[in-house]
This record gives sequence, structure tokens and C-alpha cells, in this order.
Amino acid sequence: MALAAIKPIVRRHAEIGIVLIAVLLVVVFALSSEGRWANAYNIGTILQVTATLGLMTLGVALVIASGEIDISVGSTFGIGALVYLWLALRVDPALAALAALTAGGLIGAVNGWLVTRTGTPSLIVTLGTLMIFRGIAIALTSGFAFSIPYKDRTGISYRLLGGGEILGLNTSVIWLVLMLVVLGAMLRLMPWGNRLLAVGGSSDSALSRGVRVDRVKFSAFVFCGTLAALGGVLEAGKLGSADGSMGRLMELQAIAACVLGGCLLAGGRISLIGALTGAFVLSSIQSYLVVMSVRPQWFMVLLGLIVVAAALGDRSLRQWALRR
Amino acid sequence: MTQKPPLISVRNLNLYFGAFHALRDVSVDFHAGEMVGLVGDNGAGKTTLIRVLCGIHAPSSGEVYFDGRKVDTFHPKNAIDQGIETIQQSVGLCDNLSIARNFYLGREPVRRILGIPLLDFARMREMSTRVIRQFGLRDNVSADDDVERLSGGERQSIKIGRAVEFKNRVVIMDEPTNHLSVREREHVNELARQLRDQGLLVIYITHDIFQVHRLADRIVIMENGQKIEDTTTDRMSAEDLEAVIRHGGRVVEKAEA
Ligand SMILES: Nc1ncnc2c1ncn2[C@@H]1O[C@H](COP(=O)(O)OP(=O)(O)OP(=O)(O)O)[C@@H](O)[C@H]1O
Ligand SMILES: [Mg+2]
Repeated sequence: MALAAIKPIVRRHAEIGIVLIAVLLVVVFALSSEGRWANAYNIGTILQVTATLGLMTLGVALVIASGEIDISVGSTFGIGALVYLWLALRVDPALAALAALTAGGLIGAVNGWLVTRTGTPSLIVTLGTLMIFRGIAIALTSGFAFSIPYKDRTGISYRLLGGGEILGLNTSVIWLVLMLVVLGAMLRLMPWGNRLLAVGGSSDSALSRGVRVDRVKFSAFVFCGTLAALGGVLEAGKLGSADGSMGRLMELQAIAACVLGGCLLAGGRISLIGALTGAFVLSSIQSYLVVMSVRPQWFMVLLGLIVVAAALGDRSLRQWALRR
Repeated sequence: MTQKPPLISVRNLNLYFGAFHALRDVSVDFHAGEMVGLVGDNGAGKTTLIRVLCGIHAPSSGEVYFDGRKVDTFHPKNAIDQGIETIQQSVGLCDNLSIARNFYLGREPVRRILGIPLLDFARMREMSTRVIRQFGLRDNVSADDDVERLSGGERQSIKIGRAVEFKNRVVIMDEPTNHLSVREREHVNELARQLRDQGLLVIYITHDIFQVHRLADRIVIMENGQKIEDTTTDRMSAEDLEAVIRHGGRVVEKAEA
């Protein structure tokens, strides 16, 4: 029958579960919020939040593909935002963004270097850098915010970097789509992607075929740091200001988005589309709780509950698909 | 038997895994156009020795010469570039990738579009499909199937087929007939013979001393990380070699003393 026919599709595409959950949530949220959730302005906001979280999520997905994990991305996001804001006041925003991306790439390089050179588990290494760079972000701002005066929030490069809209969509969404296409092509169509997934699937086997496992993992960390910083730049461009807590706890959302999206934490199997759908689901839930004026103290609890429910739903769907 | 300088020469090789002394002062030569059987008990160090030759392990001390040049950096990439293909005992295939992707892992063929290297899927499929058919895999196995779904023998066939396709100067086979049916064993042994006849060096690890005695030109026996015997097959019978393995290194030492 028809249901049995879709089983193989569900089996092959780990992201089907999260896509169904996203559709379900959109319908429920739209019907139950009397237009407060499903309006152009709110959807635009959700997409902007999805874009900055999504860029971070794409990077984390690459590291997960290689069989490692990067939980320092929340701090990298914050550093990217601060470097961008500090420099955007002094030089062209495009240059400021380049510097911020370089900073993010360097943080990724530190993570990658420590993981591949010392063999320390990436969870520990990036937990360390998560704290280090959060500390640096707080120290740099010393309790204040870096911000760009309203009158300076103009110019083509400022607006292209999250500080403006095109066709009613924040420009960060364009960056997200661009990166999704580029990374998707690198992952599926280029030797780099083949090796990245091989390393995550079995690093010993990849090594035995002459893959330079350390270099591949290192590159994943550098991409991850750079993408997190890009997210930070775009968020900073949108808000025009940032303090030392910028991006806090976002690393957890990014990892949750990856797992919900069908990325295997053990490595070797990821879905970029799935991970982004995961990021969209998380941003949608957040926005729903805000527009429904859920008291902030319940916010985290509800978010967590919905994430667990979504994960369980996805899991039972996959198990159903595996049954004959 | 050969006057030519050896293709691979191992000199006083020692390898430690932490405190464990896995290879003890191993010296052995391998020549082009020769098939060498490497035998010995479980845990004797056969796999460890060939993992040095194919670049996975770097020795703690001692030297390896390839084609007269001392090997300085040990990495599988270097070994493969030098022409050493290895059928590993326990690794070599990534379950999460398709047969075609596994086949070319680390040496993917590309077409460049605007300078960007894109995988040449047509070529990847073509060669791996040919090998699938040569090794008589089930008809419904396709080059795009994930390796995860293959049986032990099918995996082994893919690994052997890959090494034979990419054959260059050396083919190392670590228990290649594991998991294989009688028919496929014959096929693999025939392939090994052909490679030797084509002038390649073939190093063949196995526990079947009688079989390898028929096949190989020379037999090297290892025990406890040491080489305890190195002889041509016309100088020692399979029964004598089996006795050496059965009694381990100690009996031989006694006999020598
Ligand atoms: N990576 C490693 N770390 C620590 N010890 C190892 C490692 N690899 C092998 N050993 C040890 O080295 C010894 C030799 O192992 P090796 O795999 O070379 O044996 P083998 O002769 O190939 O045996 P078998 O016939 O069972 O395949 C064993 O005692 C094994 O436990
Ligand atoms: Mg072995």
C-alpha cells in the first residue's frame, strides 16, 4: 500500500522526519495563534534567526560528519559579532566581516589543531575553547555592548551583511542559501566531501586508503569556526550591537538541530537540509512561545520538551521505516 | 634466488605499542616478481609488519627501504603513491559510503569545471561495476549500494578487486581468502599468481600453510613479533614449516642451540 511505498524513501533520507515535524508544527502554530505567529513579519524574523543559527548549524554538521563535535561555536559566534562591530565602525563592513571570518577560522584552526595533534576528544577541547572565548568576549566588552550608531547602519556592504533586506527577506537568508548550495556541492560532488564522510564513517579505513585524516578533520573545524563567525557577523549586522553574551547557548541549539535533522553523532552520515530544517524548527518554536507570551521562566522547559518530543517522533518514524 | 636488489628491504625493525614490543628486530627482504607467504600464529605480528610497509604504523626503530631509498615518512598516502596496494585484514571499506565511492576513496577521479574538481561519477561507477561482475557478486548489487549492506565475502571481493585494479608494484594481501567461498578462493589465488607473473611483488598472509606453500616462492614465519624462519618453498616442505609454526619459536631455538 501507499505507506509501505514510502518506507524506502524514509530509510534513505534521514531528514524526512524533521521535515514532517516542521510541516506539522507550522500548521499547528498557524492555527493556534490567531495570526500572531503566521504573519509576514514574524515569518521573516523566524527566517532571519534560522539563517544565523543555520550557518552555525551547517558548520557543526560538517564537524559531526567527520566524527567529531564542536561545542565552541556559540563563543565563536560571539567573537565574530564583536570583531565585526568593533571594526565596522572603523573600516568598510566588508573588510570588518573578512576579519571576523578570519577570527572564526582561527578559532576553528585552534580546535582542529588541538584535536588532531593531541588526540584529545573534541568534546573536551571545544568545551575548553567555548569557555575561553566566552571569557574573552566578556572581557573585551567588560559589561558594555559594542554597537554601531543608527546613522551609520547604512551602506551597501552593511546592508548585505545582515543589516538590510532584499524582497522583504533579511540578507542573512541569502547567505544561508548560498552556503547551503556551496557546502552541499562540496559534500556530495567533490573529493573533499567523499573523504570527510569516509573519515567520519571509519577513520581507520579512510587512513588505510591514503586519506590524510588529520587534514580532513582540521578543515572541517576551520569551516565550522568560519561559518559560526559568519552567523555572528550577520546577527550583529541585524541588531547593530552585541555584548559579551552574544551567541550563548546557541551551540546547544546547533547540535540539537543537527541531531533532529538526521546527522549521526557517531559521524559519517549527515544531512545539511535536515540540519537546517532542525534550525528552522527550533526558531519556530522559540518564536511561537514568544508570540504566545509564555513566561520566560517556562521558555527553556517548553523548548526542551518539544525538542525531546520531536526527537522521539523522528526516532519512531525511522524505526517504522526499518521494519519490513 | 634473485640477484637484483630487493624492492622492499626491512632492517632491524622494532615497533612498540606503548610498552608492548610488537615487532622485535625484524629484518627481511622482498623482491619484485616474487610471491612471499607470511605465516605465523595469531598475534605473531604479521599484520603489524605489513602495516609498517603500507605506512599505517611508523617503526619505533630500524629502517625500511623501498626501491633502494630509505622511507622517511610513514603514511598510507606515500605508500600508495609509491605503488603499494594493500588488502587490509580488518579495515579498508567505509560502511557509510557506496561501493563506487569506496573504490576510489583517496584517489577520486575528477572532471574540472571552471577549475573546480567534481567527482567523475561515470568513471567511478564503470570500474566498480566491472569488478562487481568479475567477482560474481549477486546481480542485484549495484555500484551505488552502500557497503553496509554487503556480506563479508562481498566486502572482501570488493577489497581484492580494488587492489588488483590499482595494482602497481606491490600487492599485499592480509588473509585475502577470509570469508570467501571455495570458488572465490581459487579465483583470488589465481589472481595472486598472475600478479606475481606480471612482475609484481606479492606478499600473501595466511594461516593455510599448505595452500601458500603451493602458491609462494618463499615463506617467512613470524612468532612473537620476530622472524623465525625465512626459506624458499623448494627448500622446506609444508609439513616441516607447519611443525615450525606449531612449536613456535622456542623449539626452533632449542634445535639451533
Ligand atoms: N594498534 C595496536 N595497539 C596495541 N596493540 C596492537 C595493535 N595492533 C596490534 N597489536 C598487538 O600486536 C600483536 C600482533 O598483532 P597482529 O595483528 O600483527 O597479529 P597477526 O600476526 O596479524 O595475527 P592474526 O593472524 O590473528 O591476524 C597482537 O598481540 C596485538 O594485540
Ligand atoms: Mg593479522
